[in-house]
Amino acid sequence: MTAPNQTASATAATRAADMTASPGLLQRLSAQRQKLVLPFLFVGSLLVFAGFAPGFCTLDNVTNIARQSVYLMIVALAQMIVLIGGGLDLSVGTVVALSSVVGATAMAAAAQVLPDSPALAMAAGLAAGLACGGAVGFLNGVGTAVLRIPAFMMTLGMSSVVFGVALLVSGGVPIYGLPPQFGEVFGFGYWAGIPVPVIIAVVMIVLTWFLLEWTRYGRHLYAVGGNQRAAELSGVRTQRVVIIAFSLAGALAALAGLLLTARLDTGESNIGATLPLESIAACVIAGVALTGGIGRTLAVAFGTLLIVLVQNGMNLMQVGAYAQTMVIGAILIVSMALARR
Amino acid sequence: MTSAGILTPERTTAAPAPRVKPALRAVGLCKRYGHHTALKAVNLDIRPGEVHILFGENGAGKSTLISMLAGANVPSDGHLEIGTYRGTFASVAQARAHGVRAVFQEFSLVPHLTVADNISLGEEPLARLGLLSKSGARQRARRLVDELGFELDVDARVSDLARGKQQMVEICKAVAQAPRLLILDEPTASLSEHDAQALFALVRRLKAEGTAIIYITHRMHEIPLIGDTVTVLRDGQHIATVPASTPENELIALMTGRTLSNIYPAIPPVTSLGPVRLTLDGLTTADGLVVNANLRLRAGEIVGIAGLVGCGKSELGQACYGLRGISGGTLRVDNQPRRFSHPAEAIGAGIWYSPPDRKRDGLALMRPARENMTLSSLLFGEQAGARLRPRAEQDTVQRLCGQVDFPLRRAVEPVGNFSGGNQQKVLLAKGLAQEVGVYIFDEPSVGVDVGARQSIYQYLSRLAASGAAILLISSDLPELMGLSHRLLVMRGGQMVAEFERGFYDEQRILEHFFE
Repeated sequence: MTAPNQTASATAATRAADMTASPGLLQRLSAQRQKLVLPFLFVGSLLVFAGFAPGFCTLDNVTNIARQSVYLMIVALAQMIVLIGGGLDLSVGTVVALSSVVGATAMAAAAQVLPDSPALAMAAGLAAGLACGGAVGFLNGVGTAVLRIPAFMMTLGMSSVVFGVALLVSGGVPIYGLPPQFGEVFGFGYWAGIPVPVIIAVVMIVLTWFLLEWTRYGRHLYAVGGNQRAAELSGVRTQRVVIIAFSLAGALAALAGLLLTARLDTGESNIGATLPLESIAACVIAGVALTGGIGRTLAVAFGTLLIVLVQNGMNLMQVGAYAQTMVIGAILIVSMALARR
Repeated sequence: MTSAGILTPERTTAAPAPRVKPALRAVGLCKRYGHHTALKAVNLDIRPGEVHILFGENGAGKSTLISMLAGANVPSDGHLEIGTYRGTFASVAQARAHGVRAVFQEFSLVPHLTVADNISLGEEPLARLGLLSKSGARQRARRLVDELGFELDVDARVSDLARGKQQMVEICKAVAQAPRLLILDEPTASLSEHDAQALFALVRRLKAEGTAIIYITHRMHEIPLIGDTVTVLRDGQHIATVPASTPENELIALMTGRTLSNIYPAIPPVTSLGPVRLTLDGLTTADGLVVNANLRLRAGEIVGIAGLVGCGKSELGQACYGLRGISGGTLRVDNQPRRFSHPAEAIGAGIWYSPPDRKRDGLALMRPARENMTLSSLLFGEQAGARLRPRAEQDTVQRLCGQVDFPLRRAVEPVGNFSGGNQQKVLLAKGLAQEVGVYIFDEPSVGVDVGARQSIYQYLSRLAASGAAILLISSDLPELMGLSHRLLVMRGGQMVAEFERGFYDEQRILEHFFE
């Protein structure tokens, strides 16, 4: 693995040495380019938008970016957990839709039965949504770890199954009848001057970071993604680790779906379609290896911010939605090319 | 051996024959990575019909040198002369066009294709209408394999083959078009004795046909057996080029810059052996690769298992670790009958297994060395617990680095950055991270240099002295004879002979390898 890597960077370095008298800096930059892609893109787009997008640097807009990034942030964390363990989750988008539909249905039903205790209704809806997401993740995990179906196929197929279930439950129409407090707190609420969804996202970042960096499970996850066979021989129950990773990812995606439901005030089956691509993009830009074993929580948080930032900036510059879609895909490809190892 | 005698006169005539034009000449080859110089102005002449051995510790620059000869790496300075060509190779394809073929330790095989398909890859024989001729490819492969005398099924998928067999496929590929210069990088590291002999026969034949051969090995006894000239590298510099008949200790002194006495440490005396830790009674695996194996392994004892690749010696170790289904017989650890369905149960019962292929089965290469070392200790070691405790872990890493002679300062770097010897030390350190009574080492010194080998042997002897029971599975017979109290030979899944230390006789042991 290292040999071609060395060769490639060494060839680049030789070329750099030929062009300039002081090869030291260029060579070091070239060797570190994997780590430099994200900061470079981040600072670069900040500068561009600060210069060209009207109202980009206002406090209002910064709050706006924070709020907009919540949903992608939580889904990107889910994607990262799976990617580190050597998997890939293409079903995060439809899990968001499923949890929205199931959570809203359960919540509306509970609100009808218990009109006086909206808190209980909300709890029922949240529990139902999270359980759905966790269950889908569990199945993804069993399919990849036990049945040895490639994660790509397993989650792609599951994505279609889940979307079908979401349509079936909702009948393809929005689900109304949620307790008004749900949207007031989880959609638009503030706590100590900070939007509640942002607080939840930050808590999730901290929890994920703690899980990955400070627990045995996190270490096992990196080991399984790094070399599944070596982890198995070291006594790690690798199947269990993978199943837990997918289940956590499913539950996180469901949380994002529920927060989105609160924001929209209805259960929707047609949300989340862009999340698989965007969450993978956020991870890849942040240096998470698609082969597993590598990835940092904080970097993924910044990768997510970068994507939302670019979308926000383009909105302010009045770039059309079609062009924006193209830009997100292009960023993914270019960052892969830059970070190629 | 008789063959060495045949080679001797050739060697003496070949060495002082300056008028023969070299098949390949390297002039002032340099390679710099940043501030680090991997190779400093190395000159090398390889004559046709010469087996030129490159010798040096891991990291001495051998791999860098051959990668530039093979076109896998471009030198920072210097050039090559081959035939009428002067310059450097920009690609492996260019090197091949000039007749330079290399067999690296990293294989260039397509795992899902058969042996025959791999051998003809890039030069597929065509039938009518320009379609692939599968039978043509098979015939060609079979002819080649038979000619070389390898034991290889041309219809087998490469991914199903053991590492040693894959190595042979790689060699077949390289010699299929009669190269002008053949580079072999530790070709016998994963070959069985039989296949190694076949390889030596092949090397001698190519040599007689005028092929120049560069041969890298860490096995000292192969040097006089097969080599004509030895070039010693140390710290990226050309130290000396001497005839292959140079005594071993002189070569080691040249390589390390110091004199090295016996590389095998003293092992604890038989009288100090403790109670029986591991007992196998008629152990038979479900796949039939191990049949009716019996063994008593005592605390402080090192028992060697010898045999050809595929004789069942690796499979025996795996069966004891829950990696292979057991269909008959009993496995006892500390007199408790056990059946393991997962390595976690085996470690819990006090068995550790160290796999032969560190890159495939042993290490997560992109993770730091320290994380690899402590991985299983999080479940079974002193800091077992759901939460990590960085300070306790650091203490463990410090202890492990000391025990296996690994640079503590570099333990935060990914394992993939290290040389083979240091990677192997990380693998061995993993076994020390938790308390177990029985260690099974499968090829613990494969592909590491003499210096690292010595510290691995010392590690094994210290481990035994501390009361561990060690099952040492190896294809390197001198290593087994140097380190074990007893030695068992396996053939066809069965244990066919047992030797006590003191009665070791290489020739007699080898006879039991074959029917």
